[in-house]
Order: sequence, then C-alpha cells, then structure tokens
Amino acid sequence: MRIGKVHSWKKVLAQLILLVLPTVLFFFYLLWDLNRFYTILENEWIRQGCYFMAGIVITTVFYAYRFRFITTAALLFLIYYGIYKYVGSISIGEFDAFYLSVQFIIFTFLFSLGWLTGFGFSRSKYFTIFWSVLLLVTQIIVVSKTTDIKVNVLISAFAPVLAYSFYIIYTAELIRNMNDDETRFGWFIIKRITGFLLVLLVMFLVIFNIFKNDFKAIEKEWGNAQAKYDKGDSKGENMNQKDKDGNMSNKDQTKLSGSLSKDKQLVFVAKLDNYFDDGKTPNPLYFTSCFYTKFDTLTQTFERDSLMPYNDLYEPDPSRIPLYFAKWDSTVIKNTFATKNRKIITADIYKVMLAPSKYLAPSTAFFCQPMSVPKEYKEQYKSTYRAKMWVSDLNSAYFIYNPAGNKMLEQFQQLRFNKLREVKKIKGPDKKFMDYYTFMPNNEDYKKITQLAKQITANAPTPIDKMIAIRDYFLSKDDFKQPLFKYSDNPGIPGMPSANKLTYFLFENRKGYCAYFAGATLFMLRSLGIPSRVAAGYLTVDRSSKNPGWYWFYANQAHAWTQVYFQGYGWIDFDTTVPDMNTHQATQPDGTPPTNMPQTYLVADGEVQEVDETKKQIKMTVEKLLYHDKDYVTSKAKEMTIDVSIATITADTGAVKLSSIKKGIHITAVSFSEALKNILADKKDSLASILTKLPVPVPIDEIKVMSKEQLKKLKKKNNEQQSAPIDWIKVGWIVMLIVTALVILLFMCPWIIWQYLNIKAKRINASKAYNSYRASLYYLNQLGYSRDSKGPQEYAYLMDLKFNTNFNAFSNVYQKVKYSSVPLSEAEEKLMNDFYKPFIKQVRSKTKLKTRFSKFLNIYNTIHYFTQPKIN
Amino acid sequence: MEEQNGQLEQTLANIQKLVDNVETVIRGKRMQIQYVLTALLAKGHILMEDNPGTGKTVMAKTLAKSIASEKGGEASFKRIQFTPDLLPMDLIGSHIFDDVKKEFVFKKGPLFCNLLLADEINRASPKVQSALLECMAEHQITMGETTYPLEKLFFTIATQNPVEMEGTYPLPAAQLDRFFIKIYFGYVDEETELNIYKDYLGIQNNLDNIKQVLSMKEILFLQDQTERVFIHDEIIAGVRNIVRDTRKHADIVLGASTRSGITFLKCLKAFALVNGRTFVTEDDLNQLTSAVLDHRLIYRNKEAKQKALASILAKELDRLSRLKITTNANTYGQSPL
Repeated sequence: MRIGKVHSWKKVLAQLILLVLPTVLFFFYLLWDLNRFYTILENEWIRQGCYFMAGIVITTVFYAYRFRFITTAALLFLIYYGIYKYVGSISIGEFDAFYLSVQFIIFTFLFSLGWLTGFGFSRSKYFTIFWSVLLLVTQIIVVSKTTDIKVNVLISAFAPVLAYSFYIIYTAELIRNMNDDETRFGWFIIKRITGFLLVLLVMFLVIFNIFKNDFKAIEKEWGNAQAKYDKGDSKGENMNQKDKDGNMSNKDQTKLSGSLSKDKQLVFVAKLDNYFDDGKTPNPLYFTSCFYTKFDTLTQTFERDSLMPYNDLYEPDPSRIPLYFAKWDSTVIKNTFATKNRKIITADIYKVMLAPSKYLAPSTAFFCQPMSVPKEYKEQYKSTYRAKMWVSDLNSAYFIYNPAGNKMLEQFQQLRFNKLREVKKIKGPDKKFMDYYTFMPNNEDYKKITQLAKQITANAPTPIDKMIAIRDYFLSKDDFKQPLFKYSDNPGIPGMPSANKLTYFLFENRKGYCAYFAGATLFMLRSLGIPSRVAAGYLTVDRSSKNPGWYWFYANQAHAWTQVYFQGYGWIDFDTTVPDMNTHQATQPDGTPPTNMPQTYLVADGEVQEVDETKKQIKMTVEKLLYHDKDYVTSKAKEMTIDVSIATITADTGAVKLSSIKKGIHITAVSFSEALKNILADKKDSLASILTKLPVPVPIDEIKVMSKEQLKKLKKKNNEQQSAPIDWIKVGWIVMLIVTALVILLFMCPWIIWQYLNIKAKRINASKAYNSYRASLYYLNQLGYSRDSKGPQEYAYLMDLKFNTNFNAFSNVYQKVKYSSVPLSEAEEKLMNDFYKPFIKQVRSKTKLKTRFSKFLNIYNTIHYFTQPKIN
Repeated sequence: MEEQNGQLEQTLANIQKLVDNVETVIRGKRMQIQYVLTALLAKGHILMEDNPGTGKTVMAKTLAKSIASEKGGEASFKRIQFTPDLLPMDLIGSHIFDDVKKEFVFKKGPLFCNLLLADEINRASPKVQSALLECMAEHQITMGETTYPLEKLFFTIATQNPVEMEGTYPLPAAQLDRFFIKIYFGYVDEETELNIYKDYLGIQNNLDNIKQVLSMKEILFLQDQTERVFIHDEIIAGVRNIVRDTRKHADIVLGASTRSGITFLKCLKAFALVNGRTFVTEDDLNQLTSAVLDHRLIYRNKEAKQKALASILAKELDRLSRLKITTNANTYGQSPL
C-alpha cells in the first residue's frame, strides 16, 4: 500500500524549522519557568522538554502522510496503556510505583501535548490560534499563583508568550498558504519571515523608546536582583546585601542555610535618644529594617510579605526627600494598636556603607527628615537623616543578655515583665490579624515543635512567662553543665537534603545563627497562639561609655529576632539568640560621633534657572521653603538668587562640581549663615514675603542635587503609592479596552481595505480600469458574491442578472484594456470611466443596509478574496 | 490593410450570423456551435461525444448547408455511418476498372468533401479509424503511386457514443490528440426542450430552408486571419502554466503535450474570432481549457477527471485576474489586427 502525502518534504522541512523548532525552544523556556513554581516537576525541565520535542517532531513528520488522527491516537493510547501496565508490574515497593507513575503521567502528558501540537501544525487550520490562547491562559494561571507581581515578572511571563504567539500564527498561516511547487519556496519563506521579524523588531523598538525610562528602572532593579543572587549563591547565606555601588542593606529574605558569612565593615552610626527612667543610662533598641512574616516551608526561607495585615513598617526613601523636608506617615502608628507606655523618640542615622535609599530605625518609625552631614564629617559619612519612632517604654535590646551587676537593668527587666504579666491572654485587634500572625504550617515537623513548646511552657501562666520560658530553654544547660544551644555561623545541614532545618536545629544539632533562634522561637510562640513575627535589621550594642546614646553598627551586627504582640503595648522585641561563646569578638573601636550640627536657618527647594559660574551664583525657583524651622509652600514658584561660593554641592553619589549643575535640575539649598539668624519671619509672612526680606544673593552653605530623572521617579513613585495595591479592576478595564479596540480593528479590516480600494478606483488615471475592476470585485466578494473559479464574463453576467448593472460590458472593456493591443474606442473609454460609481450605487440600492453591514463584518470573505486557490 | 480590416469586420459579423443561423435549428446549443466553429477556424477537427439523438448530425448538416461553396450551392457534405464492418476503402475510394479506357480509374470515396460527418466513429474497427485520422492529419490521400489532395476546406465532425456503451472500439489517446476540440453535446434544458417539442415542424422547416450566410472563401480567409489574432504574453504564459500543471498533478497520469499547447493557442485565437474579438482574453482560456485539453489527459480516477483540470484552471484564472496590465506594448512580431 502506498501512503499518500499531505505535504511535500519541503513543507515538512519548513514546518520543522519554522514552527516546531521555535515551539520546542519556547516550551523549554516555559518548562524551565514552571519548574521554578511546581515541585512536582523536580527541576527536570530538560528531560521534560525532550518528551515534548519527541512528540511534536514525530507527529509533524508522521502526519505529513495521510494518516487518520483518531485511529492513530487510539493506537497511541493503547501503547500508553501497555507501558503503564508494564511499569506497574515491574515496579517494586510503593514509593517506586508512585514515583514511576508520576513520572509516567508527566511523560504521557507532555508527549501527548507534543503529539497534539504536531498534528495541529500539520493538519489543522485554526490550531495555532487555539494553541496561543492555551499558552496565554497557562501563563495567566502561573502568574496569578505568583504572590509578588512586579513589572519584571509580568514582562518575563507574557513577553515571550505574546511574541511566540504572533510569530507562530503568522508563520503557520504563511506555510499553509504556500504553493510548494513554487520554485523559490525557501527564498520566499525567508523573505516573508525576515519582513515579519523586522516589523516585530520595529514594534518592540518603538515600545522600548516610548517606555525607555520605565525599562531603565526595571533594568536597574534586575541588575540589583542579579547582584543579590550572586551574593547569596557564592557564600552561603548573608544577612546583608550589597548593591552595585557597594552599598549595604538588609535582604528581603533570609534562608536557613548551612553557613552564614559575615564581615566587619562599618555600616552606619546612629544617635538614639532613648534612655531609661534615670535619664542617663542609654536604652539601646534594635534597628528594624523589615519584617519576615512569611516562611516558605519548601525552601526554608523567611520572606517579606507585602500583604502583611496592619502594615506598621514605614519605608521612605531618604535619598528622594529634599534636604530638611520631613516626610511622615501616621498610619503606621495607628497600625501598631499600641496605646500604653509609648513615647516618641528621635534617632539620627549617619550612613557609611548603608545604601542611600535605605531607611532604618527602631521599631515603629514614622518620620524621616534627611539632613546635611556637617562639613568636617562629609568624607566619613555619606548622608544622614533623622527618624522619629513611636517606641514602647518596655522595649529594649536587653533581654537575653544577663544584666548581671547592673541593678538598674535588673529592675527594669522585672518591671517590664510585671507590666506584661498583666496580659493574661493575647487578643489581636481582629481575627485576621490573629490568624495571620499565628499561622503554622501543618506538618509533622511543626507538630513536634508545638509539643516542645507546650512542654517548655507548661508552668508558664502568661504569655510573657512563656516567652521567658522559651528564652530560658535556649539558655539552659545539659546534663554535663554545657549550654544546650550554641551559637554558630556554620551549623551545618541535616543529612537529608529536604529535611526540616528548624527541627534539626531544635532537636538534633542545637547549633545555629540568629535566624535559627528567631525562627524556632517564632514557631514555638505561634504554636502557643501568641502572635509573633521575625524582624530583621541590626543588633544594637552599647559599647561606649564615652558617648552615651551613640551606637556603631558593623556588618556583622545584621540580625534577626522575634517580635511579639501584646495588646495595648504593641509589638515588642525579644531576642532569643544565645551569645556567641566561641569567638570573642574584638569590640569594634567606636569612632567619634559627628557633633556640632549647625543650626539651619533656611532650606529652599526648587529648580535651577540660571547658573553663573564666574560669580558663583545660581538663580533658582523656590517651591518649598523651610525658614527658621517653619514650612512654607507655594503653588507659584518664586525666584531667588543664591550665592554658592562657599557651598558644598553633593548628590547621592558624592560631591559634585558647580559646573555639573544645569538649568532645570532640582536642588535643595541649605543655609547655616549667621546673616539670616536675625531676620525673623512674622506669622503673616508667606513664602514670597520671606524671600523679599532676604539679602540678595542669599548665602548658601550646602546644595543637594536631585536629578530630574530622580524627581520624575519620585513623582511616579508617589503616584504608585497612592494606588498601592494594583487596581486589578482598572487593569482589567485597560486590557478589555485594548482587546476591544483590537477586535474592532479586526472587524473593521474589510471596511478599511474597501475604503482604500474605493478611493483608488475613483481616481482617473492610467490604471483606472484595473482599479475599478478590483474595487468592484472586492465589493461584490465582500457582499458574498465571490468570483471563485468563474471566468470574468460568466461572473459579470451573473452579477448583472442579480443587480441589473452593466458589469459585463465593463468587464469586456477591461479585458480589452488588459489583453488587447488595440486602443479603446471613445465609447469604450467613456464606459470605462463612468462605470464605477453608478455600479456601486446600483449594487448598494439592491442590497439592504443591514445585509451590507453584516457582510462587511465578515472577515472570512476578505480572507477569501485574498487567498489564492490551490491545485488539488 | 485597411481593406482587409474592413473585410475582417464583415466576416466577423458573418460568423455571428452563422452562429445565429445554426441556432435556428439547433436550439440552446450556442456554446457548442461556437466550439465547432472554433475547430473549423483553427483548421482542426472536432469530436463530439454523447448519446444518440442529441442533435449532433443535424448540427453538422446545418453547418454544411450554411456555407456556400465556390461553385455555387452549398458546401459539399458527406456523412459516413461507422460500423464494425466498414473498410478503409469505403472511406477513401477505390480503383475501378474502366471498360472504355481499359484501365483502372480512381473512384473517390466520401472523404473528398468539405464537411465530413463521421458518425459513431468508435464503432468502426481501429483500422478504419486510423485511416480516417491519417487523412485528417495529412490532408491528402495516397493511393498506389498517386497522391490525391483533399479539398481545401476539409473539416471533420466526428461523433462517438460514450465509451461505456457496448460494441465500441475506444479511440487511443494518440488518436484523440488529432481532434482539436472534444465536446459533450448534452441534453438541452427544460424550457428549450419544451420549445423544441412545440415547434419541431418549424425546426424541420428551418433546416430545409436554411440560408447560406458564409462563403467558403470567407472561411478560408478567416482561417488565415486566425493566426493574426493578438495574444498577450501573459495568456501565453497562462497556457504554459496550465499545460505544465497537468503534467505535475498527482491525479493526472498522462499530462498535456507541447503539441497540445500549440493546439490550445490556435484554438484560443480561433475562439476569440468566433466571439467577434481580435484578442484573446481570460474568458477564452476559461471556456476552452476543458474542451481542448480534457480528452488528451489520462486521469487516475473518475473523481480526478472532474476536479483536477478545473482546479488547475481556477488557479491560473486567479493569477491572471490579479494581474495589473496597463501597457499593452508587447507583440510576438505579429502585426496587430
């Protein structure tokens, strides 16, 4: 039996190279992407991709012959069944059988998918559309499962799918419509596809150009992310992260891993105005960077959660706030639910290695005011800001450290515990809060932790007693009078790769670094129904008796600890990490604190209008003014001339020259000048009237440059913050609008083409006959009277019968124009020129408007018009 | 030239008259009449295939009666009914002993005429068939040592019964090739048939009193003019494409030959003249492709017979209809009419 071919080998080859290859590549990408999300795939995307590839390649070749789908698919199904039975019979043991059957299901699914796809490419006309929609839906589902939706996630998820879909639909159609007996088949295909790719490229370039700035921002974000991964991978775990400028900040997540690497660079210096009741003993507070409220049990990683209920984390970007202008957010205070024993204190943070955009402060900070670093310290400290916090009296870094010797501290501890003992049972503001902060993974390991917690705290009546009991458990000694738990930066990993590291830490190894202690404490507390979370930031160590209230923070002080919620008192820090006994860290030599902060009299914020480098004067507009600590804002910017001869000019990146200041740049000018000391403002004064009082030019000591880009970003960020949780309804609307517009455009296609042909046909020129004939043919075709295989005369005759027109006469003239060497007679010329308009009018009058309208929506008629018939 | 053109216009009008004339007798068969005239003008022969009683013979008779011979009177018309026992001599003629002259003289057979109706050609034995076809191709008869030319205007209308019928010797492909055009006569439509029944006496009367509208000379003139009909390069390319496509088509076992292509071109030109045109159009191609090529092709199966050529033609028509030709400055060195 000879089996006929559906496609020639040329077509099959074209399909393999142009359809199957991109599909397989794309599928590899998709599988790789899915493997990150679904553990069942077990990171074997290469093998799984091969399953798919096998399916699609085999079928593309197979179905190029005239095979029936249903019979062959049934055969395939039988083979599957046979293999399944066989696998069932050879596998020994339950685990084996399960593993094999899962693998077999994955294989079956992917191979069948490849099989179907190959069949679709080979035989079905509409398959590519269905296939594209399927992939899009898959991506939508995958993205919807992702918790943190960022631009880059969306782009990486949808851009390849969309590009692939466009490509595959176009190319499949192209190959399908090819006449493979065309002598230059390959050349034709290459030409078309190159053209298509060029169009695609131009489209992407245009989009890229329009959104250049946004992309740059994304690119930067990606760059950082890359750096983060590099650090994380190279050296075990690190509590800090460095950006590309070498600036540090806490990481967004902390993984429980085998080792922790630390270094000893100075990160920042802070002055904290928090003292015990005696007014002179400093009460250090941990500096919080963020909260880890989520724990990924699979990767054993603590993560931030942007959807944390009652978010009390204030995260401004100090580098984006003009010097001396304060920014605050009082909702964080409200979200602490703390009313008792709270006070507002101030901290000044001097950044050394800390990233300019990073904001760190003790818990429940709500205020940020960037300030200028005094001149003599400029080289030492990059920038500084003042933070204000809503701090609990009961909070203190002293919890684990034995306050031995210091009576005052002992008393404080007792007082604190007694106060908190008043809370017999912890009640959150609502159920959502409690559910969120007492969430435990449901699994054997965590049941063990629960048991341990219950056992330890059996005798503790109140939550604080339970807390103390847990602390004491970590500090307890074993039978040999050795500490039960030891601090270690390299606790090692359990033998089983995926074993729970927390239970390993609690029950077997008993060695770990801060994240282990914090994590274990967290789950013990949560198992007891006490709402708690892990805070990340920097450990505050009071080493200096010289400068009370000043603290130095080194990179190895990056830390994680537990926070517990007590109603009325709010979140309170409890650190259960035991002191590191082995390595006695050399106390870092604390430096001299930056003092002599000069009094600022004037801070002006606005745009540069004119720079005079010889006179060292700048003319600027003032939008916001801070004068003798009073805030003035105007909607109409006023001009002011400033003298910058002694001013230091800085940007985020460091000192810059006067010449780099250009018109339009946003600056903040600060003056400490004594000349302004005695020019006081009245109550009635407005921004404009103050400016008139000032000397010209105003002496300025410091200028902070904010580039335009930054400002734009700042504005954008503000806008974004306003619509903080992405408004999905709005996004939905936009997507719907775009889709609707595209659909409308698609349906208007026939009409637009018709308009084009119509306009051309109405012109009188050399190709009048051709244009008229073409337009008439198109119009009739669109109305459902296609020419098909009829000859011109036959067709025209039928149309004349239908519409009572003189199409036949015109058609004959047109044929004469086309094929004859004889010039037209005058009558024929006239007929040719006067034919078109009355003809269309006549056809119109014979067709109902409704019919015409519906026919013109029918894109298939249009496609039919343009498709060339094939020999069969 | 001017004069010739005037004469051409006159004769073109006469052709239309001829068509109309024949149509008074053969109702509802305008297309077939045109095909017959096309074969006539292209200096070819025509084969008609259909069941008995569809008007093939009447058609030939009417045509002969409509053409005036040079000597006055109508063109000479002979009809041979082919039967299995027919011998080549019955066609060609034979030598008969003349008693007076005491020698053999050649007695001309029915082939020496202007219009020959070879009825039911496929009922005769292959020997007779080939004798006839030889004459048609060579335009002369060689008998012994003497060669006798046939008439200047020699046109054969052969009819055959559908091959499936009993008692037939199907013509081989090579011989079918000698016929420029093969048409199917077919039954007329309902209305026309009713008209025929109502008026069969009138039709008989028309046949008896048919007018001679075209002279033999005019026909010969038109045959000469056929070669000068303008044919556009794209149409020639179209003919080439169609011929080549028949060779490539999967369902066609034997495609069209180059000779068929040339015949096709001749027929196209003649058909244009029959339609009163001096140039060939897409329509000519559309209407002639099947008539000229179909009987030269051998198909794989019946289904293919209906579809293959039609789809080849449809593709070519589509190509031609999309062409944008605005200048008509191309000739094959032909003097334009």
